[in-house]
Amino acid sequence: MSRREYLKNQKQKGRRLIGVFPAHYPREILWAFNSLPAEIWDPPLDIEGANAHLQPYICSVVKLGLELILQGKGDMLDGFLFPHTCDSIQNMASIVYDYLGVGKPCYFFYHPKAPYRPSSRRYYLEQLKSLVSRLERDLGPMDENELRRRVEQGHHLASILREIYDARRRGGLSASNADFYRMIRQGEYLHPDDFIPLLEDFLKASRGGDGKGPGVILSGVLPNPPEILNLLDELGVRVVDDDLLCCGRRIPMHTTMAQDPFEALVDSYFAMPPCTTKDSPLKGRVDYLLEKIAASKAKGVIFYLVKFCEPEWFDVPCMAEAVKEAGAAVLTVDVDLNQGLSGQLTTRIEAFVEMIGRQQEA
Amino acid sequence: MTAEDPIKNRDCVAGIDVGSLSTEALILDMECGTAGYAIVQTGANSTDAAVSALEKALAASGIERDQIRRIVATGYGRVSIPFSDKRVTEISCHAMGAFHLFPDTGIVIDIGGQDSKVIRVGEGGRVLDFAMNDKCAAGTGRFLEVMADKLQVALDDMGPLSLKAGGEIGISSVCTVFAESEVVSLVARNHPKEEIIRGLHRAIVNRVWSMVKGIGVRGAVTMSGGVAKNSGVVSLMEEKLGQPIHVYSEPQIIGALGAALVARRDLQDVQ
Amino acid sequence: MSLVKRARYHFMKDIGAPAVMRLSGAGRKKGPGRPKPGFGPGLNCAVRLKEIMTRHYFLSRYAEGAKPVAWVTSGAPVEILRPFGFYTIYPENHGALCGAQRLGPELCAEAEAHGYHQDLCSYARIDLGHFLSGKTPVGRLPRPDLLFASNNICQTVVYWYRVLAHQLKIPLLLFDTPYNFEDITENDVAYMVRQLEEMIPVLEEVSGRRFDSRKFQEMTGISRDSSFAWGEVLATMKTRPAPMTIFDAFIHLAPIVSLRGLPVALEYYHILLRELRERIEQGIGAIENERKRLMWDNIAIWYKVRDFSNLFAERGMNFVTATYTNAWAETISLMDADRPFESMARTYSLVVLNNSLDHRLQLMERLIKEYHVDGLVIHSAKSCKPYSVGQYDIKRLLMDRLGIPSVIVDADITDFRAYSEEQTRTRLEAFFETLEG
Repeated sequence: MSRREYLKNQKQKGRRLIGVFPAHYPREILWAFNSLPAEIWDPPLDIEGANAHLQPYICSVVKLGLELILQGKGDMLDGFLFPHTCDSIQNMASIVYDYLGVGKPCYFFYHPKAPYRPSSRRYYLEQLKSLVSRLERDLGPMDENELRRRVEQGHHLASILREIYDARRRGGLSASNADFYRMIRQGEYLHPDDFIPLLEDFLKASRGGDGKGPGVILSGVLPNPPEILNLLDELGVRVVDDDLLCCGRRIPMHTTMAQDPFEALVDSYFAMPPCTTKDSPLKGRVDYLLEKIAASKAKGVIFYLVKFCEPEWFDVPCMAEAVKEAGAAVLTVDVDLNQGLSGQLTTRIEAFVEMIGRQQEA
Repeated sequence: MTAEDPIKNRDCVAGIDVGSLSTEALILDMECGTAGYAIVQTGANSTDAAVSALEKALAASGIERDQIRRIVATGYGRVSIPFSDKRVTEISCHAMGAFHLFPDTGIVIDIGGQDSKVIRVGEGGRVLDFAMNDKCAAGTGRFLEVMADKLQVALDDMGPLSLKAGGEIGISSVCTVFAESEVVSLVARNHPKEEIIRGLHRAIVNRVWSMVKGIGVRGAVTMSGGVAKNSGVVSLMEEKLGQPIHVYSEPQIIGALGAALVARRDLQDVQ
Repeated sequence: MSLVKRARYHFMKDIGAPAVMRLSGAGRKKGPGRPKPGFGPGLNCAVRLKEIMTRHYFLSRYAEGAKPVAWVTSGAPVEILRPFGFYTIYPENHGALCGAQRLGPELCAEAEAHGYHQDLCSYARIDLGHFLSGKTPVGRLPRPDLLFASNNICQTVVYWYRVLAHQLKIPLLLFDTPYNFEDITENDVAYMVRQLEEMIPVLEEVSGRRFDSRKFQEMTGISRDSSFAWGEVLATMKTRPAPMTIFDAFIHLAPIVSLRGLPVALEYYHILLRELRERIEQGIGAIENERKRLMWDNIAIWYKVRDFSNLFAERGMNFVTATYTNAWAETISLMDADRPFESMARTYSLVVLNNSLDHRLQLMERLIKEYHVDGLVIHSAKSCKPYSVGQYDIKRLLMDRLGIPSVIVDADITDFRAYSEEQTRTRLEAFFETLEG
């Protein structure tokens, strides 16, 4: 079933659909309102209208998101949620809300930025509650028991994802790189009632694998164009772990079930891996990546970045240097979404694989 | 043709480098080294170009097609050579080729028609690290081509002309389109072409320089690719590096040579 | 802090700097000289401004080791650093200075060679380039003991300061100001107040001084008065002919950005204000024949300030207001020395760039009316996404609502490699034709 068909189906079941822009937001709260977050990262559209609102130096995540609204592809949605992720998403949200007027509720979610202090925790908790009260205005009261149930479900989902990532890191997963991310990324629109069983089946079916071929780690925003994954598959390279904003960087490293579901959500938020969009100190990001390299014995890191993505690009030089010092190779590439792989990009990736392949021989 | 003709019994390998503008083929005799090479225009069909380059190289070296034991293809068109045994990127090939010609090579700067690369080379011609320009045409041979056209100067004359320049005119734009309009207005204001060309060369060198710094200079520097034939660019780069640069007499052939060396290594590994 | 360095700093401050200033200023005591074609007489104050800023950068060389040094973003609530005696450096101001001297690309290239992408903010690249190479036109900047940033102007400054914090292994204090998609809430204010309270122990540790709340209030008062005076300076341009141009204001902005909360800034703006009021009384305009009045949007194009200034003056066009220069005066009425923390939270989080685009549009409409603006020049700055994204819509809406013609100049604040002289000239000429037509 395609994404669109699935969403239509969910709507017929009585679920409200909320289009959500990247990246961090408390999805459990939306689930508790019997709503389904449909995340908007890289809709398969040609950019036409968005260029009338956004300059050429704005990234394609933001352009495609706005394009989706302009082309009316979000008509099925009942509202939009804009987390405060970066300057470009912030202003794009304001263009949509203040200037375009989409005629649908728009919610904004500001999460406190690191370095974290006691005030950050308190403010995040208040922000969660304030989001709930704004949603209640449009969607009716939320049942706190339902929230508790959805928070537990969120924990369960996180633990399966961690298990899948662990299996892959140890070389115990037979799925190709392309299949792995096709599966993981379905979480951007599937309801957890459907996504969890799917993941469980996936894990069961793909346990095994020979762990052969050099391993690499992907760092960046999202694995698009997906052709890169196919190319790595063809070259016999395994993606053994990732530091991708849309994937691994949104899986809490641990979860605790506090008495209060809001407190549990706060715990989860602060247990997420370090991230640029939360201003995590660079040292934390470097250490996190080095731990991943050590644990997975990866031969290299591919910084696979969306062009013009300022939060990611600022960190690359320090992170790349640390990776090289740790003896792994680094490849940095910038891409526009949905543009396929250019010959030049293919060459860079193949050369990188030749390099780590021969280092392995040597 | 007699059986006792020693050359005719030798095993040979070939490297073919299909670039955006030209295609090179090089034949390597397993015992004696380079036997011959050829350069043809790539044109619209890279397969045809590869066939024609290989035939010409065979003719130039007096080697028969059936003596070729292995063919390695490289360059943008490497995927479209059905008769190749292996495909290797031009990055690995330039490293191998440059190391073979100049064994003290630590860094290869390759400025080709549509991209530029800086490669750090290790023992045996191994790639230790590399950087490649982004999608933009600035800092590539294409940039110079566009400008040569605007200035109505033959591409091959740009190097010698710029060396004659008494001064230099700064080109501030990095973007090819912007720089083009800048050049047009400089010409309109009657600035000497030589000085404009020198400024354009400086723009390319500055653009590539950030990649050189990123990779770090170690050991000798070898330049490859078509732009290495431009003495103006080479001399500005040498000035910036503070050291001389190795330039092979046919810098375009280094990719094909590297490919042939990869083929030879593979064959030796098997034997 | 070493005693010797402290003694040396004070010697330089009291004796060395004045001597150097006298020497360097000796040649130009004559005043601003003959006006350029198209312009009225220049501002006498320019000499004093130059002295103040030269002295600031000159003294900064001796601050390291003598005083705690902080690098601060232009929108951070610096008042809280003042009672601890921090010597404050504003890398954005330093970036503007490098930009004006056309050193942007050179310093940016230093950062690019270390892997910082050419698409990143050029203030950040200049600063990182300076940090990695030591190059600067001001001699030397003191190494910081502390980094102090606020994301009320952009998230970029935080990404940039995180890199510095990592490289220098020093604390980064962030004043996190929730973006006002809608209205500011009590939760937001309480969050910001708590952050300020949490900063105090860190500041005490870095500076080795106890927090003095009385001094803090006093300096908050000076800061409020200076910003208020700056607002009055800008307001003089409501007069026809305007006694200064926005290009002057871009330069005279330096003290309110870099020396905010210090008496020197307040004194300076009082002198400047006096001069401007005298000019108004005598009917002296910044340009000879003010026929059209314009508004500027976004940060200056630093390497083009002089050229643009001439280009527009020749045509009798004067820039009389800008969203950029206004930012240091806009929210000052919220500052209250009796409730310093809370008022600081509001003052700093309600600035134009931390507010929705609707707010920005309303502000621009107000400025257009108050300053009798005939046209608008919009600088789409590659470096500054929060300032630039939304400009296309603003352009359209201002035309629809007020019939104000405008032109977009694609450029960058300091990196002129992203600027096309030819393209810009064509656009500006078309704009002039629209204005005259």
